[in-house]
Amino acid sequence: MSKNIFVNEKRPHDSASKHVSGYADYTDDISEPKGTLHGAIGWSKKSHALIKKIDLSEVWKSEGVISVIGYKDIPGRNDVGPVFDGDPIFSPNKVEYYGQPLFAVAAISTELARKAVLKAKVIYKVLKPIVTIKEALKKKKFVLKGIKIQRGNPSNAIRKSKNQLKVNFTTGSQEHFYLEGQVALAIPKEDNDFLVYSSTQHPSETQQIIAKMLNQKSNSVTVLVRRVGGGFGGKETNFMTSAICSLLAYKTRKPVKLRLDRDDDIIITGKRHDFYSESEVGFNSLGIIEGLKIKLSSRCGISPDLSGAINGRAIMHIDNAYYIPHIRVQNYLCKTNTASNTAFRGFGGNQGMMVIENIIDNISRYLNKDPCQIRKNNFYQKKKKNITHYGMKIEDNVIQEIFNKLVKKSNYKKRYSKIKKFNQKSKYLKKGIAITPVKFGISFTTTHLNQAGALVHIYTDGSVHLNHGGVEMGQGTNTKIAQLVANELGLSFEKIKISSTNTSKVPNTSASAASSTTDLNGAAALDAVSKIKQNLEKFIKKKYNIKNIKIVYEKGLIKFNKKSFKFETIIKEAYLNRISLSSSGFYSTPKIYFDKKTFSGRPFLYFCYGAAVTEVTIDILTGENIVERVDILHDAGKAINPALELGQIEGGFVQGQGWLTIEEVNWKTNGQITTVSPSTYKIPAVSDMPKKFNVEIFKQGKNKENVVNKAKTTGEPPLMLAMSVFYAIKDAIASVGKYKKIPILDAPATPEKILMSLNELKNRFNHIR
Amino acid sequence: MTSSAIQFIWNNKILKIDNPDPNETLLNFIRLKIKKTGTKEGCAEGGCGACTVVLAELKKNTLTYKAINACISFVTILQGKQLILVEDLSNNDGSLHPVQKAMVDYHGSQCGFCTPGFVMSLFALTKDYSSYTEENIKDSISGNLCRCTGYRPIMDAAKSLNNKNRSDKFVKNKKKIINLLKKIKSENINIKNKNKKYFAPTTVTELKKIIKDYPNSNFLSGGTDLSLIVTKDRKDIDNIISLNSINELNFIEKKNENIIVGASTPLREFELFIKKYYPDFASILNRYGSVQIRNVATIAGNIATASPIGDTLPLLLSLDAKVVLQSLNKKTILPLKNFFVSYRKTKLKKRQFIHSIIIPIFKKNIFKAYKISKRIDDDISSVCASFNLEVKNKKIKNIKIAYGGMASIPKRAINCEKNLINTNISEENIEKTKKTLEKDFKPISDMRASKNYRMEIAKNLLMKCLMEIKNNKLLRLN
Repeated sequence: MSKNIFVNEKRPHDSASKHVSGYADYTDDISEPKGTLHGAIGWSKKSHALIKKIDLSEVWKSEGVISVIGYKDIPGRNDVGPVFDGDPIFSPNKVEYYGQPLFAVAAISTELARKAVLKAKVIYKVLKPIVTIKEALKKKKFVLKGIKIQRGNPSNAIRKSKNQLKVNFTTGSQEHFYLEGQVALAIPKEDNDFLVYSSTQHPSETQQIIAKMLNQKSNSVTVLVRRVGGGFGGKETNFMTSAICSLLAYKTRKPVKLRLDRDDDIIITGKRHDFYSESEVGFNSLGIIEGLKIKLSSRCGISPDLSGAINGRAIMHIDNAYYIPHIRVQNYLCKTNTASNTAFRGFGGNQGMMVIENIIDNISRYLNKDPCQIRKNNFYQKKKKNITHYGMKIEDNVIQEIFNKLVKKSNYKKRYSKIKKFNQKSKYLKKGIAITPVKFGISFTTTHLNQAGALVHIYTDGSVHLNHGGVEMGQGTNTKIAQLVANELGLSFEKIKISSTNTSKVPNTSASAASSTTDLNGAAALDAVSKIKQNLEKFIKKKYNIKNIKIVYEKGLIKFNKKSFKFETIIKEAYLNRISLSSSGFYSTPKIYFDKKTFSGRPFLYFCYGAAVTEVTIDILTGENIVERVDILHDAGKAINPALELGQIEGGFVQGQGWLTIEEVNWKTNGQITTVSPSTYKIPAVSDMPKKFNVEIFKQGKNKENVVNKAKTTGEPPLMLAMSVFYAIKDAIASVGKYKKIPILDAPATPEKILMSLNELKNRFNHIR
Repeated sequence: MTSSAIQFIWNNKILKIDNPDPNETLLNFIRLKIKKTGTKEGCAEGGCGACTVVLAELKKNTLTYKAINACISFVTILQGKQLILVEDLSNNDGSLHPVQKAMVDYHGSQCGFCTPGFVMSLFALTKDYSSYTEENIKDSISGNLCRCTGYRPIMDAAKSLNNKNRSDKFVKNKKKIINLLKKIKSENINIKNKNKKYFAPTTVTELKKIIKDYPNSNFLSGGTDLSLIVTKDRKDIDNIISLNSINELNFIEKKNENIIVGASTPLREFELFIKKYYPDFASILNRYGSVQIRNVATIAGNIATASPIGDTLPLLLSLDAKVVLQSLNKKTILPLKNFFVSYRKTKLKKRQFIHSIIIPIFKKNIFKAYKISKRIDDDISSVCASFNLEVKNKKIKNIKIAYGGMASIPKRAINCEKNLINTNISEENIEKTKKTLEKDFKPISDMRASKNYRMEIAKNLLMKCLMEIKNNKLLRLN
């Protein structure tokens, strides 16, 4: 038993003081061993071609070059695909995307290595590339066979419905733009062992990929991650950098550092999947969906990577918070000659949700009703209409409570009618408002990944050393888990030291992903603590000859039987009595199961809920827009650290806002990506932040399931709150058709897309009139 | 006097580097030579702010502090300045600077990678202003990207500084630093490093001598564009002549009905000056690059680069600006509209340099400028439009219109202008005349905007400008 003193505490990130003073070390900041070489990757300048000849003689001759490597230098597996093959480290004779690695260089400095790779002479036989989803659909090029799911009889339900609509819709890609690019430092050790520092969300898989590439056992590779300068999914499976870096170290027998510059990072690595959907929906006069058929396609790039799971999550979130009695989804995983798209915060869930939110928005406009009401009419309910299309019963539904509270708190209704009046009078500036819900499932949908390990030592001076499988990438998982452990041992936070994530301390970990890092690793850490406490309890009972008495850990003291001892004292005594003060811990998520064949089961332990109201103003002469006000109510359960959760909610929102408004990845028709740096690819900057930004954590929140502290994660779900920005923009556009026509708007709603949508709507409106 | 070494202050000491590699970036110097790794590389093109450092400079016997991007500055920029890194802010006992403490207290860092850059931008803000408003805070961090926080906690951290004691170790050390800076004499710099040469003359006379001897050199006037040859194209620049040390070229003055701006005047100083005469000019500059860029980039650099999307250019064109070209023995004055030849090509000849820019003050005219881009802060225009017109009794007496982003050079809309002169401002009239822009421009499609969108907003901005004048009311989002 312990008293909650450190949890629910707004404490700064445990590295905050180091962040602000420049002393937080990232992989590129680690002091290099003597003789460290520096790498650079040479990559394809064509998106689809056969390599006829590759002449690297000038590269070898280039100043400072020590070694040049290609596919022939790989002793083992020439692939970094995590689940399936398809991501060759160096492709032998064919290139499938602009930016695909062909060879690499080790030189005495990064500058010289980067200069050297430009001297390669490659002769290609160019093949026709497939760049877009539509081209791939037409040519039937897929990375995996898409699944089809069905509940009820949607065709029949749609036919019988009073109203029908057809909706085509696209959401765009998104570059992760973590501020710290991909980087690794590989150091050869004795026995052909390697110590690899990598900016990865997935140390264990990095270890395995490198071992397989070198044709060695996993026990010969150790991967260390102290912190990552932003991941967002972009460092979950992008193993190319650490693999090539290790191969260079293997070849040269020297420490090698490989840091991609920003352009190479954007060109070589995959991004968020763009999705295209063709839907048919039937609904009644209340806007309640009766039947829905969706063809859901995504751009996967050249390989499967995580596309199967991402598309699976998209399908599982195609309902968002709505009950859809009859539904069919047919999924297509399109193969394109672009970098292999990968995990990105939301992991397909957000793309799935955007499909249904757009359909509901169109239904509302078709019926000329407030979309807020139509959304409510379709919500899952508590006692009935509570089974998802993949057969999971929703037991923790709080969306109505959150939605209703937010409608009131944000004064939505009054503002909704005020905006309509404003738009009648204002000719060039138009306002729009929207409220959207979020229901997001928590757990890896690949069930076996829902496990975690930890290692806790208590030293004889009473200080605690904690390791777990999670990676600190800004989300504050180390801070929160240290808070949990401090709380459990009744110690002050400063007594707990969390060091680098290390594959030799905690093995076989899952990626820090799926919003689950703290849920899983926190529970594993507490398991380790409880094992040590059991040892201590046995010892105390024996030594002080007591039975069945509660031992309390509080304020640095251990109390029992009206006695109170300093924590350090008991620890020291235990040590002298040869009691183990170290333990590993383990956790695996209970209750979950999923049958991939029937696409049914309980893939999630619980759901996160939230809602957001956004008001925008658009300039109909230019398409420019501004987010005037955002109100958010989000369920974080019983938050471990409300300040860090708030940071995740706000940051996630703005990242989602970027995805749906200004962030646009562009490819030429020949497959060359053109948005490769901050001068051409725009993530939100400070002026994009909502002018008024009211964010509140749902006070009644509490996780029904047995999750650490009864908290709910805030990793991914807040990103989807930003859907309200997109639909507020669409609402503002609708005003130029006097709300009588449905605007056609795809994401991202850039100023250009907004202006084109306005023009198209005006034409349609004037034509009918 | 000529020196082959650059001298600067770091950690309260004068440091000297003899014949440094003139292509070495300041960031590489910091990370690889003096081995301070708090300053980060995020993009190597001045677009993310992770590499922000502050340079203190002696001006009128006091210190001015400027945030700059270390990634696109060459190490030679340090000459005669104090270098301040994120590690230098905290006190010797490890206690944090007020800016750093505020960032911790308000949870302004998450992954922490961008944080040193934000800290340095905010540090410069506290040295530049006595109170911190929504406006000047946003301005100071508009060139710093954060992918984690959504910026709210950083804004709050900055605002909280209003209630904090302004004294820090830099205030306490001020006299000492001033004295040290005075010890570094202003002299011509003449660097040779292998096959690379770098010159930073301090007078125009000296400049001419160097130009005569090395006519094939690249001019560096700020260098925020020039340095990309090294950081992005990975090429060497063999001969560089920096204009930044020539005080004669760093001036702004009002003479008769003209504003004259010296070639090496930083855009940031020009921005503050021009606000009084043409507020819209200042608003556009405010969204041009970031403070870090505008602290070093110059108006002459902008003109010489001749980028079709350089935001000052259409504004200067519509204002009938003239460019003063200096050759070895004479000065020529050329209307700016005749200066641009084709894509990034100008009439600047060998052995010639831009001396200054003359901007007429139109007292009776209305001047308006608009910038359309995907993002508000630090983005390159899809289209930039500028209008300078004289209106009498709702009739256009005279009008000059120029656009950026609509052609391979920044260009006047001559046909459209002709059609508008002596017409009344009315919606119908503009609807008709805006089509003439299609005669003036054939824009292209690229990753920023399609040609159709460009043409559409070019027309609509004309409409917006004239409707604002007609209704005497601004139609802006902010």
